[in-house]
Amino acid sequence: MSEAGVLSSTTGAAQAAPVVAICKAVKRFGGLTVLDDCSLTAQEGEILTLLGPSGCGKTTLLRCIAGFLTPDSGEILIDGRDTIPVPVNRRSVGVVFQSYALFPHLSVAKNVAYGLRMRATPAAEIATRVKAALATVSLTGFEERYPSQLSGGQQQRVAIARVLVLEPRVLLLDEPFNALDAKLRGTMQMEMRHLIKRLGITAVFVTHDQEEALTMSDRIAVMRAGRIEQLGTPEEIFDRPQSAYVADFVGASNFWEGVAHAGRVALPDGQSVATALDGPVRVMLRPHNLVLRAVGGEAAAWDGTIRFRRHIGALMEYEIEVAGGRMLRAVALRDDTIAALAGGDRVSLGVRDAAACVAFPPA
Amino acid sequence: MRLDRAEIMDRLGVGVIVALAIFALALLLLPAVIVVVMSFDTRGYISFPPAGFTLDWYRKVFEQPVLTTAMWTSIKVGLYVTAICILLGVPTALACVRGDFRGATALSVFVLVPHMVPGIVLGVAVLFSGALLGIGPSIWLQSIALSCYVMAVMVRTVMARLQKLDPLLEQASANLGASRWQTFRTITFPLLLPAIMAGAVFTFIEGFDNLSVTIFTHGYRDRPLPIELLAIVQNTNSPLVAAVSSVQILLAMLALAAISLTIGLDRVNE
Repeated sequence: MSEAGVLSSTTGAAQAAPVVAICKAVKRFGGLTVLDDCSLTAQEGEILTLLGPSGCGKTTLLRCIAGFLTPDSGEILIDGRDTIPVPVNRRSVGVVFQSYALFPHLSVAKNVAYGLRMRATPAAEIATRVKAALATVSLTGFEERYPSQLSGGQQQRVAIARVLVLEPRVLLLDEPFNALDAKLRGTMQMEMRHLIKRLGITAVFVTHDQEEALTMSDRIAVMRAGRIEQLGTPEEIFDRPQSAYVADFVGASNFWEGVAHAGRVALPDGQSVATALDGPVRVMLRPHNLVLRAVGGEAAAWDGTIRFRRHIGALMEYEIEVAGGRMLRAVALRDDTIAALAGGDRVSLGVRDAAACVAFPPA
Repeated sequence: MRLDRAEIMDRLGVGVIVALAIFALALLLLPAVIVVVMSFDTRGYISFPPAGFTLDWYRKVFEQPVLTTAMWTSIKVGLYVTAICILLGVPTALACVRGDFRGATALSVFVLVPHMVPGIVLGVAVLFSGALLGIGPSIWLQSIALSCYVMAVMVRTVMARLQKLDPLLEQASANLGASRWQTFRTITFPLLLPAIMAGAVFTFIEGFDNLSVTIFTHGYRDRPLPIELLAIVQNTNSPLVAAVSSVQILLAMLALAAISLTIGLDRVNE
């Protein structure tokens, strides 16, 4: 199959043979096509994220790699070998489930030892490897506890240790942070990324949370209705989205309607954005790319009224009504000039960096 | 403090519920208590209240080979019924819950049918079927008949537990390298064990003391305890029956105590 053809990475690792290669995978449930001609690859030591809303097929793709589901057509290769004929329990793929799926009747040590016991590993070797795996996830001393006696974060680490102890070729993570509260989630995301990078494992990670994807990934595949909409580094996905869908799903976006002439779209503040399109377009303006100024004497071309403001810690978010009743969202660091602005104030808008705006065809 | 109408009605309601609960509890416990009390009577006939205290009747129970043999027969029937129900009921429950075939739901309803049919009808039915197959009334026919009768309890208890079991546990086990059999042996079965134990207590007690199905199917040489008790009650009026009944009550309580000590009574309710 055309493995090289599906690579669109600019990371430079694309030349090596991929660890996971998915070629034209299709999966239907009844009349519903859940995976529609999906192709992508994960390189050695890479964290690849499948990002998309619920129902986009990301979990189905993960379950196909794990072997819980078989694609109707297409190939899934691990180290260049077809996995379709390989039964679930013979694949070198470790899954960390959303609910962790720890065995409630087994202690932490026995949960971690489980996979080794199923492989009839000698008892002495099991003991050393379990000890090492628990040390890796900082759970030394928890051997005799039962899952019900652990916090959510600890349970998650047991689930990771249980998989890592088997030294799988590929690690699959199915929304592993969903069950954690917001603060712990951030910490665990960082810890998990460090751990995976330190061990050099190839990982495929599924999430619907775009911030999580940006934090965790080397590359992100944004999925939509069973297809891969865009595949790229977090920077590429965030800064150069290839479609309005990606722009809207990853990060907050304003869409401003304009008209393109001779390769440029004029913005109301006098700057312009380069585009290959012609005629009516929608321009993506990230909220942090908008600058607010209190309106003085002179009337600016792009004025608006603050309708609502919201504290987000160090940032302040404004909803601004501009001409025609359209609402735009702007985010600014809370400094003195911004702190003075309140609801009802008139402001003038400007774009900080016109090169960071992207034009899309009209909806 | 002044009470308004709504509060008076509330308190009255709680009072009625408490009174009903006490009445229900008395209804459940009183017969057992009276039987136990009468088993210590010094007189040679059943009467209440007792005139004195003696353990003679218990001595007589264990001195009569007819009764001890019958008790042993009934224990054996209880064990056979339990064994059959585990061997057939657990796979049936697995098939009903995890099976992906047409009629899985029908099967789970169908196992209830023998339990819905009056015991006498089922007893006669099994007796005739046995005759057709050349199996006469015996401890085996009785055990098979009672297994049909109480299979539903085992299947339903295990099914309830299975339905609550996270199917991801079995997938996780497979992902960690376990074969289907290894997964069943190390994950599914241990997690089903409390339900199987709970079902086993009920199937054992039913095998031990069922009368309606037993009447038609028991062996004439292996007369089980309920049959002997019926004979004693029909022919005599001695507190011996009360003593045997008390032993049975004790056995049932021991079974419940064993469960509460090993897996916990609250988990049986699951």
